[in-house]
Amino acid sequence: MGGLRPPIAPYGGTPPKSAAPPTLWLLLGRKLVSVSQAEAAGAGQDRLAVGSVSKTFGSARVLREIGLRIAPGELHGLVGQNGCGKSTLVKILTGIYTPDPGGTVTVDGRALALPVRPLEARAAGLSVVHQNLGLVDDRTVWENVRLGRFKAAGRLTRRIDGKAERAAVAAVFARLGANVDVNEKVSELSAEDRAAVAIARAMQDHEPGGGLIIFDESTRAMGKAARGRFFDLVKGVIDNGASVLMISHQLEEVVEVTDRVTVLRDGQVVETGIPTKEIDEAGLTRLMLGRHLVTHSRVDSHAQPETAVQVRNLVVRSVRGLDLDLKKGEIVGLTGLVGSGAVAVAEAIGGAREARAGTLTVNGKTLSLKPKRGSTEDFIKAGVAFVAERRLEQGLAGELSVTQNLTLPRVKTRGGRFRIGHSWQADETAAMIKKLDIKPPDPHKLVGTLSGGNQQKVLLGKWLAGQPDLLVLHEPTQAVDVGARHDIIEAIREAAADGCGVLISSVDAADLSVLCDRVLVFREGKVTAELTGDLTQDDIIHATFEQPSDQQGPERNLKGVAR
Amino acid sequence: MDTARNQPDVAVAAPQAEPPASATAGTTRKGRFAGRQLAPRFAILVVWAAMIGVYWGTEPVLFPHTGTFQTIFGSQQPLVFMTMALMCTIIVGEFVDLSVPAVFGFGATILPVLVVNHGWNVWPAAIVAVLGCVVVGAINGFLVVKVGVNTIVVTLGMSTLLMGISLWMSDLNTISGMPNGFQKIALFDIGGLPISFYYGVVLVLGFGYLLAFTPLGRHMRFVGASREVSRLSGVRVDRIRFGSFVFASLLSGIGAVIAVAAIGGYNATTSDTYLLPVFAAVFLSTAIFEPGRFNPLGTLIGIYFLETGILGLQLLGLQSWVSQVFYGGILVIAVTISTLLHRRAT
Repeated sequence: MGGLRPPIAPYGGTPPKSAAPPTLWLLLGRKLVSVSQAEAAGAGQDRLAVGSVSKTFGSARVLREIGLRIAPGELHGLVGQNGCGKSTLVKILTGIYTPDPGGTVTVDGRALALPVRPLEARAAGLSVVHQNLGLVDDRTVWENVRLGRFKAAGRLTRRIDGKAERAAVAAVFARLGANVDVNEKVSELSAEDRAAVAIARAMQDHEPGGGLIIFDESTRAMGKAARGRFFDLVKGVIDNGASVLMISHQLEEVVEVTDRVTVLRDGQVVETGIPTKEIDEAGLTRLMLGRHLVTHSRVDSHAQPETAVQVRNLVVRSVRGLDLDLKKGEIVGLTGLVGSGAVAVAEAIGGAREARAGTLTVNGKTLSLKPKRGSTEDFIKAGVAFVAERRLEQGLAGELSVTQNLTLPRVKTRGGRFRIGHSWQADETAAMIKKLDIKPPDPHKLVGTLSGGNQQKVLLGKWLAGQPDLLVLHEPTQAVDVGARHDIIEAIREAAADGCGVLISSVDAADLSVLCDRVLVFREGKVTAELTGDLTQDDIIHATFEQPSDQQGPERNLKGVAR
Repeated sequence: MDTARNQPDVAVAAPQAEPPASATAGTTRKGRFAGRQLAPRFAILVVWAAMIGVYWGTEPVLFPHTGTFQTIFGSQQPLVFMTMALMCTIIVGEFVDLSVPAVFGFGATILPVLVVNHGWNVWPAAIVAVLGCVVVGAINGFLVVKVGVNTIVVTLGMSTLLMGISLWMSDLNTISGMPNGFQKIALFDIGGLPISFYYGVVLVLGFGYLLAFTPLGRHMRFVGASREVSRLSGVRVDRIRFGSFVFASLLSGIGAVIAVAAIGGYNATTSDTYLLPVFAAVFLSTAIFEPGRFNPLGTLIGIYFLETGILGLQLLGLQSWVSQVFYGGILVIAVTISTLLHRRAT
């Protein structure tokens, strides 16, 4: 993966919020220290030791003899492709799944009974922060932290002693070094404070100098700025003596912040406890895939001279009066910080969001972007396809099959009024399964049972099968594994080669630099930079965070220190 | 990250040894899956057969009789129409249209009141009854879909309101005395069963076809699965939801007219006794044929399954409370089973 994604905000060029301290300095300083601590303690006792844990579902063995050791005070990374068994392992550690007989899970030298009993795990200091953080939005911070631990006070009233609970929560935040108002509603909090709440909940039962928190892709929904703060908090956890197991798809994040890393592939440990000083993202990718890698760089533009798409006077959110032309086969990226308008523009052009004004001309057909619509039918008829970001909420129905999902936009136009017809559906599905290498290649499989990467492929296939003239994509490779990302990038290129205009809204500078002929950078509703030619992700990141005078970002210096 | 600038992205080439094992694993899993799925799919038919066997054995005189057969299959037409009406809204994701029996009762009261009390000709009266139901459906649809009021609140309120109006119209009496010829549209005998049985079968098959094979049916399924996904895929979500409410009432209205023809009149107080059977049969369908999914054919089987059970128990001498125990029990058991099946499948 070549580390092409933007670095975590506070250390990438200039942070959007200068409030955050130069996190990496601290992290790296801590890292060097903690590794030595870990090594010193490693000879003694592991915080968590997983030995020969296997899991079989029916005839499918999804985990095979997993072995893993985490030292006290260590930040350990766990990586692997979608479907490699990471989630299953977490579910075993949290007691949701019962492992096959023969495995052991040991915390601080004490073996836990298997299946893991949640209360015993809690007593041992084992806790998990899930990807969506698991917070109840309309309750307060202290209620969220104490949820499941409330003590009934008073002999008869058995009420919750709000004062004591609040004090307990405030103490946890103090230990964590986070400044969060315990009476605030969680829905009112910023992303990093929400993360702090989740972490506080996870660490409140830790004994001083003990405990283990598993972060299961917790940074996935976080903006870049929030991530920087998040790792500050994780550092706070480590400083309290706890260990952390961090599961992530963001390989550069793993390489930068963790001490050691374990790689899973097809339910097996490929290698465990690799010091991240000794490996880079390409190396991790190689281990995850277990296949040879070739370089995957920019290819020539497929842009043709004719204009495919015209957007005129688009007014949406903070964007006022945007004009945008797209040539046939041209791939244009839209990027910017949260609230910059890049996402709103893509959604408006894709028909998913109602704009206040504007027109879209595709292939000579002009659509108004303004009126509220019951559906995107007009857009689809005009040849517009919109690949939404949240695939299971906006893109696909998990309870229906691959075929049904894939053909949905066309059942009316390709099918008869009284009969959808079978053969075209089968053909379309087979073609997309082949083109995108969807696994398993079963057209009747329910979409909800596929892995994330394959779901994303089905979603892309759903729209590519309609041979659109304008393809609008929102974060097309978010949270997919490396193999799926490759297939998706290839498919987007192929669509462009066929003359489709492509608009990609993304904060992933790696994707943009590899795919786009042109990148528009948004800031507060205006296009502040238009990058063309040979794009590098550094250019994109710099333009996104603006202030191009600051060429010597702290990041590079830090890297020098680290390596 | 100096190196990142020049370091191109990496990708996959030459899949080294893509294990062919995964392919075989896939097929065996599928084979096992099919076997595991087949049993629950038809389990209810086995239970049904076993039930008939037991009744046959314990009541060898009364049970194996054409009269029993005719009662089971000839009397359930109102339920068939009402379950299909409920199915319309359930498929598009509105789980609790509690007003179905009340709408049915509303139509079934208007018709005899107009004909018997007001001396209308039966056909215009039938049309008014059906239209009345459709108007109610449109109001439900408007409130739920356009205004966004909670479905339970709207339909519970509407249900009670309609029940009250029906009782007022009929003055709490059974209204009978429909003209004789009108009976023919429901009771015309074909092969020992009244024609209304065949209406039900045709309706169910038609609805099943609609769902399985037409673009509209596919759209309905998707609206039920996810409104946002449907909207972004060009499905006119609100139109389909509104249409479902209207069409549901239309089915209730037509069912009411046929029921009045079969019975020769109507007593408005009987409407609410249909509520539980309707829900029981529809939810029972999630345990038949397509586990975890509402389906019309399963509902039809469910209706006759339930009726067989109750009739048999009554023949054995148990009182009418048996139907409540049976319907209520089956509803809970069926939904539990289908939930478990669904969980296992996903």
